[in-house]
This record gives sequence, C-alpha cells and structure tokens, in this order.
Amino acid sequence: MKVKVISRSTDEFTRDRSQDLQKVFRNYDPKLRTQERAVEYTRALTAAKLEKIFARPFVGALDGHIDAVSCMAKNPNHLKGMFSGSMDGDIRLWDLSMRRTICQFPGHQGAVRGLTVSTDGEILVSCGTDCSVRLWNVPDYRSKNLSESSGNALEPMAVYVWKHPLWGVDHQWDRTLFATVGAQVDIWDHNRSEPVNTFKWGNDTVISVRFNPGHPDLLVTSSSDRGIILYDLRVSSPARKLILKTRTNSISWNPMEPMNFTAANEDTNCYSYDVRKLSEAKCVHADHVSAVMDIDYSPTGREFVTGSYDRTIRIFNYNGDHSREVYHTKRMQRSLFASVVVCCFWFTVIADEFSVPCRVFCVKYSCDGTYVISGSDDTNLRLWKAKASEQLGVLLPRERKKQEYMDAVKERYKHLPEVKRIIRHRHLPKPIYKAATLRRTMVEAERKKDQRRRAHSAPGSMPVQPFRKRRIIKEE
Amino acid sequence: MAKVEKKKKRQRPILSNSIALASKRKMKGKKIKKVASDVRRRKFGPHLPSSFMKEMGIQKPSPNSSDLTGGEEEEEGEDLYEYEEAIPEEETGKNRRYDAVENYEYELPEEFEDEDVPSDENDDVSVDDGDDAGVDEEEEGEDAGEKHVRMLQSITGLPAEAFEGKGKKNVTLLDVHGDMGPQHVSIYDFLDPLHGKSGYSKLRKRVHQLEREPMAVSAPLPKVEREKLEREVTYAQSKKEITKWEPLVKRNREAPTLLFNEDLDLAVPTVGAIAAEHRPRTEFEKKMAVLLGDPEVLEAHTKDGAKLLELNKISVKDVLDRHNHLAKMRSLFFRHEMKSKHIKKIKSKTYHRILKRGRQKGASAEINMDPEAANELARKQEFKRAEERMTLKHKNSSKWAKRIIKRGLKAQDEGTRAAIAEQLQQHALLTRKMNSMIENSSSDETSDDDSDDFSPGSDREGVSKLLNKAKEKTIKVMEEEEDMPKSGVLSLPFMERSVKRQREAAREEALLALQEYEASLGKHDEKGDEKVPSTAQTSGKRVFGGAKSQPKELSRKPKSPYNSDSESDFEARDGEEEQKIEDRSQQAKIGSLLLPDEALAAQNKICEDLDDIAKIPASKTTYEVAIFASDTWRKIGSENSQDNVKIEPSAAESPVHPNSDNMVHDGNSDSDSETEMVDGFISSVPKSEYELPSQSELIRRAFAADDVEAEFEKDKMDTLNAENHEPEKPALLPGWGQWTHIQQKKGIPSSMIEKHEDEIKKREEALKRRKDANLKNIIISEKIDRKAEKLHAKSLPFPYTSKEVYEQSIRMPIGPDYNPAISIGALNRPAIVKRAGVIVKPIVYEEIDPCSKLDEPKESKKIRQKQNRKKAKVDGRKFAVKS
Repeated sequence: MKVKVISRSTDEFTRDRSQDLQKVFRNYDPKLRTQERAVEYTRALTAAKLEKIFARPFVGALDGHIDAVSCMAKNPNHLKGMFSGSMDGDIRLWDLSMRRTICQFPGHQGAVRGLTVSTDGEILVSCGTDCSVRLWNVPDYRSKNLSESSGNALEPMAVYVWKHPLWGVDHQWDRTLFATVGAQVDIWDHNRSEPVNTFKWGNDTVISVRFNPGHPDLLVTSSSDRGIILYDLRVSSPARKLILKTRTNSISWNPMEPMNFTAANEDTNCYSYDVRKLSEAKCVHADHVSAVMDIDYSPTGREFVTGSYDRTIRIFNYNGDHSREVYHTKRMQRSLFASVVVCCFWFTVIADEFSVPCRVFCVKYSCDGTYVISGSDDTNLRLWKAKASEQLGVLLPRERKKQEYMDAVKERYKHLPEVKRIIRHRHLPKPIYKAATLRRTMVEAERKKDQRRRAHSAPGSMPVQPFRKRRIIKEE
Repeated sequence: MAKVEKKKKRQRPILSNSIALASKRKMKGKKIKKVASDVRRRKFGPHLPSSFMKEMGIQKPSPNSSDLTGGEEEEEGEDLYEYEEAIPEEETGKNRRYDAVENYEYELPEEFEDEDVPSDENDDVSVDDGDDAGVDEEEEGEDAGEKHVRMLQSITGLPAEAFEGKGKKNVTLLDVHGDMGPQHVSIYDFLDPLHGKSGYSKLRKRVHQLEREPMAVSAPLPKVEREKLEREVTYAQSKKEITKWEPLVKRNREAPTLLFNEDLDLAVPTVGAIAAEHRPRTEFEKKMAVLLGDPEVLEAHTKDGAKLLELNKISVKDVLDRHNHLAKMRSLFFRHEMKSKHIKKIKSKTYHRILKRGRQKGASAEINMDPEAANELARKQEFKRAEERMTLKHKNSSKWAKRIIKRGLKAQDEGTRAAIAEQLQQHALLTRKMNSMIENSSSDETSDDDSDDFSPGSDREGVSKLLNKAKEKTIKVMEEEEDMPKSGVLSLPFMERSVKRQREAAREEALLALQEYEASLGKHDEKGDEKVPSTAQTSGKRVFGGAKSQPKELSRKPKSPYNSDSESDFEARDGEEEQKIEDRSQQAKIGSLLLPDEALAAQNKICEDLDDIAKIPASKTTYEVAIFASDTWRKIGSENSQDNVKIEPSAAESPVHPNSDNMVHDGNSDSDSETEMVDGFISSVPKSEYELPSQSELIRRAFAADDVEAEFEKDKMDTLNAENHEPEKPALLPGWGQWTHIQQKKGIPSSMIEKHEDEIKKREEALKRRKDANLKNIIISEKIDRKAEKLHAKSLPFPYTSKEVYEQSIRMPIGPDYNPAISIGALNRPAIVKRAGVIVKPIVYEEIDPCSKLDEPKESKKIRQKQNRKKAKVDGRKFAVKS
C-alpha cells in the first residue's frame, strides 16, 4: 500500500541567505493557465508602452569647441577617450564619463578634416586643410595630473607637410599604416615622413577613406566625382570603382562582416554594398530627409548610426530599410541661437544673434556599442544612448531577466497592429516632419510619372530597375 | 648512268640524314627526303654543298659557285674533308664488293623535332646533361658534332637519332673559342668560367633561347589599358580573398544569439589578493594582528620551531595533569570495551534471556516510576501501530510472504510456517492494540460480555438480564452519541451531516427498541414461562445473542454465494474467537467498529425490513430473496421464535428454488429500487427479455416536449436579422400627410415605397450571399469583431512564408509563469548579448567547417533550444543576404 504524504526536501526550501526570495513552485501544466497568449500579448503591449515612457536617449552635451565639429575619432583601446577636431584647427580629447575635455592638441592652421587613432590607442593622427599631417602621442588617461591646464601644451610627435589639403584620414587596424586622402590617396607609415604608397584614379578630390577593420588590407574611399573606390594594399593598386548618381559623404565597413560596407550618400539614403557584388546595393536605408554626412557601424555589426544634414541622428539595423531610432533635441532644431560669447586671448566677440544650424557632421558608435556620439555645427558633441530606453548601470540578475523577457515578448508580438503602432511611433520636429512628407510626395509623384510613362511606351522599352540598382551609374 | 644515280641514292641517305637534321630546323613538317632526292636528281656525283662552297670561296675563292641550288642545302654543315671521308667505300658500292644496305628507305618521323641534335664530341665532359648544344649557332661545334655522328653512324649503321642521348650530353666550347682568338668576346666567354657550377646549365639554356629566337618586343599597351587590366586582376584577387569570411559571417548571421566578450575575465580578485589588502578594524582583529605581527613570533617562524616552543609557555604540572587524565580515561574505555566484548561472546541463550528480561523489567520499572519514560514508550508504541497500519508490513504483503503463500503453506517447512504465523501474530497484536484504543465504542466489549455472560443453557433470568443489559447499553449509546469526533475524516462537514442523519435514525430506532425492551420485560414478568423474547422487534444484536447457542458452523456458513455485506455485519457481532479465524470478516468488522453508530443503524434497518416483509405482501418476492440470502438469519428466526408468526409464512414459502423466484420478479420493479440491501444479489440474477427501443426512438421520446428544430430556426432568423437588418416598413409620422383626404388617399409617397422595396431586395441578396444560405442546420456568423481585429496581424510578417508557421512561432508562451526557470534564459535571450563598458573588437578570422552547422559547443545547446523559435528569423536573414 502506498501512502501519499507531503514531503519536501530541505534543500529546496532553504534559502542561502535571509534576503533571498522564497522559492515558488509552479505547476506548468498548460491546462491550468489557458490564457497565456492573452497575458503575454498584454505584457508586450505594456512593454512597448514602457519602452516609450523610458526612452530618454540624450545623455549630455560636451561643449568646448569654438567652431563646428568637423570630425571625430574614437580610441579603440580606451572606452572613455574620444577625439574631436573642429573647423578652427582645434583638436580635443574628451573624457566621456566626465563629459569634459582632458586635453587639447593645438597646431593646425586650418580646419581639421580627419582624425584617427592607432589600434593600440597610442598615436593620434590628424590632418586638415593646412596640408599637414600631424602625429600626436595620446596622453595617458590614468595620470592624475593631466588637467586641462597642464595638458594644454602638447607638442605633435611629427608633422608632415604635404602637397595638397587633406580631407580625411584613417588608420589600419592592428598595423602601422594609415591613409590620408585629398587630391590623391596616400598610404603612410608611422615611421616615415613620406607616404609609402600613393594611388590616384581620376582627378577629383577624395573626401573620405576607411580601412576595413576585419581585413586590414582593403580600404575604400569616396570621392567628389560621386565615386566609391576600392583599394587593395597587397597588390597596391585600386581594385574597383563604383560611380553613383550622387556623392558619397562617408563610408563605414561592417566590423563583423568584412565584405560589407555602407555608404552615406548625399541623396538622403545609405547604401549597403557587398564588395564582391558592387553592381547593386544589398540594402537601401532610407529615412533621412537631407544628405547623410557621416556613418559609423556599431562594433557588434548589427547596427549603424548616421548623422545627417537634416539635424537628426538615426540608427539603422544593418539590414533594415528604415531607421530603428531617430534622435534629435530641441536645441538642435533651433535655427537661431542667442548671444554666444566667444572669448579668445586678446579679443572678445559678442555675437548677438547668429544662426547655428546644428547640422550633424560626424557620428561615432562607442566601442562597446552602448553609446552614440555626434558632433555638429553648433560646436557641441552630444552623447546618446544607443538604446533609448535602456537602463544604464549595473542590473541585478532579476532585473536583467525581466528586461529580457519584456524585450522577447515585444519582439514576438511586434507585428500586431497595436504593439507595432506604439513601437514605431516617433515624434519628429516639425520641419523634419514636413520635409519627410514633402519628400514622400515627391517620390510618389516620380513613381507615378514613371508608371505612366511605362504605360504609354512600348512594352519592354522601359525595363524596370530595382531601387537598389537605380542609383548606380557604372562600375569599373 | 641510272645505275650510278641509284647508287648515289643508296649512299645518299647517310648524308641526307645529316642534312635533314640541319635543314629540318628551318622547315618543319616537310618531307625532307623528297627534297633531298630532288636535289640529287639534278646533280651528278658527290658535290659540295653550296654553303660550304661559299665559305670556301671566302677563304679561297672557288669556281664551283654554279652549284648553288635550293636554299634547303644552304645550311648543310660539312667541310670538304669530312665530305670526302664521309663516303666509305663499301657504301659507294662501286665494285659491288658489299651488299647493299637498305637504309636509304629510312624516313624521319613526322613529328620529329631536331632541337636536340646530338653534337657531342667529348664524352668525357658530360656534366651538362640537359644541354642541347648549339649546333646551328656555331659551325665548328656543329662540324665536330656532325663528324662524330657520322662516324658513329658509319660504324653502327644506325640512324642519327640513336645517338641523341649522347648528343644531349654536352659541348664544350672552350677549345673552339680558343681557336677563334680573343678579338671577339661573346657571352660564352663569361659563361665559361661558371662551368660546372650549380645553375650553370640553366643560365646556359636561357642564353641559348635568347640567341635562338630574338623576339621582337611588342609595343607596350597604353597605360590606361594596363591599369585597367591590373585593376581587374586586383579586384578578382581581393574578391577571392574576402570570400574566405563567408562561412564565418554566415554562421554569425544564423546564430540566434551573438555573444560578445563572453569569456572575458573581469579580473575577480583572488583570495590571496583580498587577504593582502586586509586591514584589522575590530578589536579582536587588531589583537590578532598584534599577535601575528609580533616580531618575536615572526622571527621564530623564520628561523626554526625551537624558539616557538619557548614562546609557548605552559607549566609542567598542567601538562602532567592532562596526561594523567587522558591515560585514565583511556584505560576506562578499554575496560568497558573488554567487558562488553566478553558479554557478547557468551553463547548461552538462557543467560541472554535473563539479561533481556532484566533489562525489560528495569525498563518497565522505570516506566512505572518515570511518567516521561512511560510517555515515551506509549509514543513509541503508537508510532509502531501507525507504522503497521500504514505499511501493513506484517500482513503477509511482502514479496517473501506472498511467494510462500502462493506455493502453499503446507509445502513449507516448520520454520517458515512459524515465521509466517509469527508475522500474523505480530500484525494482529499491533492492530488489536489499536482496537483496544477505541474500546469505549462499546460493541467489542458488549460482545465479550455477551460471550462471557451467556452459558449454553441460559434460563429466564439470563434473558431478563440480557434485556436489562441491552437496555442499559442502548441508553448509554444514546447518551454517547452526542460527542462527535473533532478531527479526521469524520470532522468533514458532509461526513458530519451524514453521521448526524444516521444518528437521528438510530436514535429513533433505539427509542423504539427501548420501548420494546420495556414491553418485553413487562411481558417477561407477566408470563414467566414464556422464555423467548420477540425477536421480530429486537435488534440484530439481540438476535445473535440468542443465536449464540447455535453451533459455530451455522454462523460460518455464509461461504455460500449469498455472502452479502449485511451478513458480514451480523457475523461481526459473533465474538472474539471468530475474529481470529476469518480475516476478511474481521476487516469488515473493523470497518463497522469505526462507525459503530452506522453499524447499529444497519442492524436496525434489517429489523425494519423484516417488519416490512410482514406488512407488504406485494414485495414478498424480493424479500424472500433477501431472506434467502441470509439463510442463517432465517433459520435462527424460525428456530428461536414462537412469536415470529408474521414472518413465518414468508419463511415457509421460501423453500421455493431461487430459479423459480425469478419468474415472480417481473412486475415489481418499483419495489426493487427501495431495497438497496439486496441490490447486489438481484443484479446477479439473469434478467428477463426486454426489448430496447431504437436510439432515434429514445431521442424522440426524450425530447418529446421541446421542439428543437423550430428553436434553431428562430435562432437563425434572429442572427440573420441582427446581421442584416430588416428594413422598416415605410410609415408616415402620425398626423403627417393627413391634412387633406387627398393626401390620405395618396397614402405613403411612392419614393418611400420604392426605397423600401429596394432595401428588401438588397437584404435578400445579402442573405443569399451568406455562407450559410444553403446550409439549413448551420449558422455562420459574418459579423466582424472589431475588438478581435486588433489582435491579428494585418499581413503576414516578412520572414514568414506561411500563416501556419507564423502562428506556430507565437504559440508557446515564453514567460516565467509558463516555463521552468531553466529554460527561460534560453527562450528570452536577446539577439545580441554584450556587456556595457567592454570594448568589442572587430571580427577575427578563424577556420570553420562550412558543413557543420554549429560548431560552437558553448552555444550549440542554447541554440538548439531556440531553434524552433528562431527558424523563421534565420530564413529572413538569409533573404537579407541574398537581396
């Protein structure tokens, strides 16, 4: 005979610490809880709403420059370090956690157009319109005495004056080469005063350059003749040129997928390409309403951030045709900025009212993929969270689990109309909203016109070209 | 002349061979022989080749310049001397002293190539094997070579190719050049010193090649073209290079979760590191630190242990005391141990028994003395009893016991039987203990008393005594009824209620019985000679009390199939001795004992039934069965009672066989339901023929009252009306359009009527279009639920290709309420797991096997768990890759 009695093992019911929660034992029989989908749907809805409520992406602004920020560089070896160069030749090193300048690198006579840091974080390379390339030793962050006053006077490690103004610079990953661009592409070594290699293809100015982080011998440049050129350093020859209908302002390689890069184009879109198949874009990322000025991939390779001339920052998925997130602040939208006092050594300029359009010129994704930094026309750097509603700081395991569950549920029910509506909804500043509407109208009109033309022409005379190919003029 | 020609032809081949070798260089694929023979035909006799003539002419101008013929002979390299010597006598065949050798027929193979002409004369210098000497470059060398070949040929009679291998060997040019003099310095002068060194042959070969075919360098391509080509190559190369990443990227894309910096060590400090940083804070810690940090101690530690002993101050006396104490304890322990060993060794059973008894006695004495010990013992006993009840360990339920019983007890040996018996005994003991615990519930005691009191020949006094006793008991029971059990199953509300009800009934019965007792007592007093009390009205117990005089076989008779429940109840009354004999009935008894009132009620009921039998003749048959079932009872009744006249007739009828009973059974189905007691029995009796009505008939009968179909039709009409409204009839507002009789005559305006008709038509069409228009028995609602619409995706989400897959993907819940804690992590893991504040490095190349889907052991488990969930997602990614 079997006697049923309640038996509990002490192990299961004893807590390790008195603060621990009592274990709850559940019967997971699905018959007992029949409303699970309804419950989870409601949770998804709640999660979506909460996400909206907690979406506070703006962390802070870093001001100090006295002219527009033209370029930035992140220190690949130090999370807090961020370099920025401005149009007046000022280079600053920022401590992102403190949101203040650690030190300045004076020396450039004209605008600084390019900044880059070697992979070990030791050497900063800057170049500008004053035709000079400067190499700087990056000061040690840990040294306490490095305050603004003492660290001000930093001398460059080397200065190379070159033949033409320079528009951009990028450092090779894990090696000693870096490339500058201007009238031509020059490959430099840290230890040499002359470039080790020079490429020239076409006569137009090259405006941006980017090394492939995964495959360090490949680099890609964009030039003002609307071309994107691919170089291979092992063969020391250009490999391929792609000519689009509009200029590409900036390019970023996907750090996790060495064959893919994304180009930020003047025509408000970004185009992702596979190096092996340049005849068509893999994906067209559209949402900006003005030229995209800069682009940077997240180190995870799943997202990238773009800064645009339309005064917004957007975050895209690597394969998403529309942005996941759009960031802007009121201050960024204000066209008139009252009373900015600019103090210099011997004179004081009081500009009563002068316009600061706040075009975003450069964006960077932080090395841990948690923050986004933008530099804009209004002399400010802005620090944003990459996930607008993410809770920063240390999370307890339970909090983390809860958050994961909320995200998972949201992800699961994101296609249902109500959840979708809440997740997708973004508030936009009026001018941008209007511009977007206008743009939509224009695109629609164009499409209609094309349709009608096609309808009235001989069948087959107007072959349909996918949008991914439409912007490409030729590949050579 | 012809003969001569022929001879020449014959001898010519030797020459022609060598010619051929030379001339073939210029004209490959032509048939040399033919040309050669042509030449011969024109000329007579041996002659010098024109080139040689020329050469000789340069050296010493000769008149035979007219011999110049075809270009093919120009390069025949033979000097005069050789030429003359080249025709041996036997070959000319002038005197016909020799047999004709038929080697003139020889033809060179078509694909013959004379790149490697044998041209060696110094066999001893055979270092350069691969060297095909430049026969045609240098005439001298060629001459020598030719000469040698010819010599060989003339000796062996073989064609020149046979000497190819040798010819390959080498040519040394040193002596040749030595002849020429130092005025012309050629490349060979530089080459010669290198002779014999490694790589010499290669160099030489290249020089030859260069000299032999002076290539015209084509004009370079235009720079643009060249660069274009270069770029093409570069692009192809880099494309190929970058493709190596593909499997890696593919794997990352397909993985449901990308983990970044998972294996990162965030430098958790070690114990040593923590200890090094420790600073004493509390008093105790400080004291410890002072002691530990004492320089003397430290010094002692560093040197050796001797100093430590000095520091450790203990008096000699203390040590000695401690030592003595320990020794004493040890010896005591030892003695005790020895003693117990000795006792254990004693084999005498008697001794042990005595010992045990003594121990028990001591224990019992202790119990008597000590209430706590008694309590303890009682608890122990109780526990044992409970255990027995739960496990039934001693009820022969063990495997061993079952097996033995199966094999038959008789087959076992003495010991086994004894063991079984002992077990049973133990069980009985344990359970009896339990019984004794509730002995105040009367029945047992009563029966005991009964058995004690009753002697076989009980007289009148005995009867009256019995009656008195019964009366007493009844009263007692009635008094006791009030206290209900406060715990256990009986305390449950419904049990309580039922018990109460039973008690009510029992109480009434008891009262009745009491009256009876009174009456019978009175009667008994009246007519002292009438011995037997009226059994018809007495309780069952009373009856059995009387039945005690019956032999035991009677009471144990019910091994017959008529052994119904009620009977076992009766038997239970019988007494202690029966208990031991029959286990089953005892169990039943225990059951009845547990609910004594119930048993009482049951008894009373039986009596009542018997009364009924007497009263209602209609239900006679059924009760006959009942009586038949408990035939012991009937016998007792018939034997014992004189007053029991009322029953007598039915008892008298009973001799009818049970089979015949069935016949009577038919009509009284109503009375059947009342007699629960005999239900079991009746059901076992085969029933008479009864035809079941058909299913439809049954249904029709069941729903005879309500018209389901009409109801359904009405329902359907209602739904139809609700979903497509019936248009309202056109009507004017009261007073409207009734001003004049003309207006009244006109009635409702035609437009309104038209409109109404239109609406009706529309409605009909709508009804026709409905899905359930032609389905009579079905209502398909076409109402759209606006609220439910919100819970459906408007279109199939992108990665999914079918509705089913999508629905499947969101079917299982993922929350912690629905899944165990172990699987939640895997179910809810985000697509990217990274840590804030840790730098993520770009991808690093690693070799992965493209065939194996997931080669990461760390991830594979998680991934497998998630695979179903993320399948569609992966597909989507694939799409993205393609697009």
